Amino acid sequence: MQRFRFNGLLLAAVLLIPVLPAQAQEMDHSMHMHHGHDMSAGDSLAWRMAPMDGMTMPMMPEMMDDVPDTGAFLPGFGMDVSMLPEARPSEIIDMANGDTLRMDASMVRRTINGREYVMMAYGGMYPGPLIRADRGAKVVVEFTNNIEMPTTVHWHGLRLDNAFDGIPGLTQDPVETGETFTYELKFPDTGMYWYHPHMREDVQQDLGLYGNMLVDPTEEDYYAPVNREVPLILDDLLVDANGLFPYGEEAPTHALMGRFGNVMMVNGITDYSLDIEAGEVVRFYLTNVANTRTFNVNFGGARIKVIADDVSKLEREQFVSSVIIAPAERYIVDVYFDDEGTYEITNAVQAIDHFRGTFVPETHQLGTISASGSASADHADAFAEARTNEDTIADIDGFRRYFDKAPDHNLRLTIETKDLHPMTMRMMEVDTLYFPPIEWNEGMPMMNWLSTGDEAKWTLLDEDTGKKSMEINWQWEVGDVVKIRVFNDPASFHPMNHPFHVHGQRFVVTHIDGVPNRNMGWKDTVIIPVGSTIDILVDVTNPGKWMAHCHIAEHLHAGMMLGFEVRDPSMPNAGR
Amino acid sequence: MRFLLPRIGFLLILALAVMALPARDVDSAASEADTTCAEGVSPDYYEIELVTTRKVSGARLAKGVGEVTYVQSPFGISLSEDGSYLVNIDVSMSNVKLADGKQLVAWVTTPQLDEISSLGALDENLQVSGQTDFNKFLLVITLEPAGEEPGTMWTGPVVSRGMSRSGLMHTMAGHGPFETEPCAVYGY
Repeated sequence: MQRFRFNGLLLAAVLLIPVLPAQAQEMDHSMHMHHGHDMSAGDSLAWRMAPMDGMTMPMMPEMMDDVPDTGAFLPGFGMDVSMLPEARPSEIIDMANGDTLRMDASMVRRTINGREYVMMAYGGMYPGPLIRADRGAKVVVEFTNNIEMPTTVHWHGLRLDNAFDGIPGLTQDPVETGETFTYELKFPDTGMYWYHPHMREDVQQDLGLYGNMLVDPTEEDYYAPVNREVPLILDDLLVDANGLFPYGEEAPTHALMGRFGNVMMVNGITDYSLDIEAGEVVRFYLTNVANTRTFNVNFGGARIKVIADDVSKLEREQFVSSVIIAPAERYIVDVYFDDEGTYEITNAVQAIDHFRGTFVPETHQLGTISASGSASADHADAFAEARTNEDTIADIDGFRRYFDKAPDHNLRLTIETKDLHPMTMRMMEVDTLYFPPIEWNEGMPMMNWLSTGDEAKWTLLDEDTGKKSMEINWQWEVGDVVKIRVFNDPASFHPMNHPFHVHGQRFVVTHIDGVPNRNMGWKDTVIIPVGSTIDILVDVTNPGKWMAHCHIAEHLHAGMMLGFEVRDPSMPNAGR
Repeated sequence: MRFLLPRIGFLLILALAVMALPARDVDSAASEADTTCAEGVSPDYYEIELVTTRKVSGARLAKGVGEVTYVQSPFGISLSEDGSYLVNIDVSMSNVKLADGKQLVAWVTTPQLDEISSLGALDENLQVSGQTDFNKFLLVITLEPAGEEPGTMWTGPVVSRGMSRSGLMHTMAGHGPFETEPCAVYGY
């Protein structure tokens, strides 16, 4: 009898599958017209149904009236957008040693896909000004907070003095509205870096508070010659018919998977384009500033060569078919556009349809590159050579004897849940046979939206001590070489990839799932796929109190961070 | 509109079935999973267990495993241009006594068998390594004439077979509540 009942249900479910797309669409429309949400909210701050662009699961009736356990929040709500200054495209600020830049964060008007939004900007620009300096330079940024929230600025990837790392409660007090904080930056490593808030990144960074720092080499022939250099900042933004989709007021929403956007942007715009001459080799500096999305970037079939990652050149340049870049990572790539024509920059991934249990090809248009005429300088031969970077190899050589040492710390990435919506719990329990190494899309937007850090507590578990997240306070000394083994537990509740970021130091990835990494570069952020074990070797050089954390903004706020302290034996009181 | 009500009916049936499952809070940090990672060993999560068909003489008690790791790339993981995972598969078999003139060949194929690719013949240690960019796939070991290069499709009988972890991802309707899949075997 029981067998008959289940078979009947199975039959019903199987019959249901073919009508799901239409069903989901009808439900999406109908949900905007009834139930507990204010579906005609316009600019009101009442919660409305989360956008369902990635919706593959049928909406459960039990969930239709639910909203996150936090208030809806939009910075600048009620402001007359026409009274705000229109943000302008990013500008390059060349800074010499000792220079000072005065920069603020402010509310601005942005026009995206023909619609005006109240957003935020550093220096009134989107992205913020590109700070360019030579390696070894020291500069000052006098930062003023003109947004309506407290904030700080974190200078991501820089090995700077601890006092200027921008961590509220650890290295500085929050910069309240109207206040100024002076940051002293130094640039010991060549490469591309970026700056962003370290308070409510899920809101402030998402609304436009990010910018690059390009540190130029002081050596001749550090990189191969190219025709031009172009920064590309990748981002996404979540909007619906009523405008920007609200954020959580007391805590971020989307705690399970992070806030995926449904509008893709390059350098803050949706129609990025670049005109070049055919035969050019273009050096792109890629930065992923999205809250949670990992990108797989193609350049319309043009050949790609990876030159460098976060903090240094790779040991060996390498040709690749696409660039995989997780939140907060940077990659420097040379791309050769040999023929005239149009090259589409795309994000090509295999999304997951949770209900059907299938992979679904998904391609997002990110921008267009038009090549015409003929390049004045021919760098094709230099491009064709994949250089071996002896300087990087020599820099890493001093650490190779530590590659196979036992881990100093064993860290497990996991999650604890409490009081999640019962339907979310049940649906997750029947969908736990497979989790992708990386979550390329948001296949369960409703469940994701409803979760906050109160219900989903992302956890860094120190396997050696049993301490969790900010209970952890590792003690290191300058000169230490510390091996951390990070394991992303696939048995946890909805495991997910995590871009793991270490502040103030640099590291190399020595092993991926026990396999030695044969082409290293120095990094500050590394993606930890589901089920994988990544060994990183930290070069401890910078004293002070620091953090390491997942760079998915919602996971950070849901607890996925730890502390460590670096003591300088030659300065007994330093960092205390 | 006239089709909407029946659809909602089906949906409600499905919803009720799912709601019937007991809810529980999870403290996965307390799980007992082994976290040590031996050098050069693929993650257990993606490991493919090869199950004998018991139909081939000398291999009825065969055991085997396909270890899955990412193809090396500067990005930690490796993808094709369309976003499919690029993985190494290291196959090893044991408990096999091959007849003279025979060899084992490893294959990967989509679940629909519409695409098949050879990983190569297993060596004298019953091992072979290859790569694939299939997202959901079966790993198949067949018995073939010795010394012949694998063609586009196996000709001999299937000795063992296994499924990629992604192959376990199937329709929600086929999951536990309907008792049509051996989910408990996989820890669910």
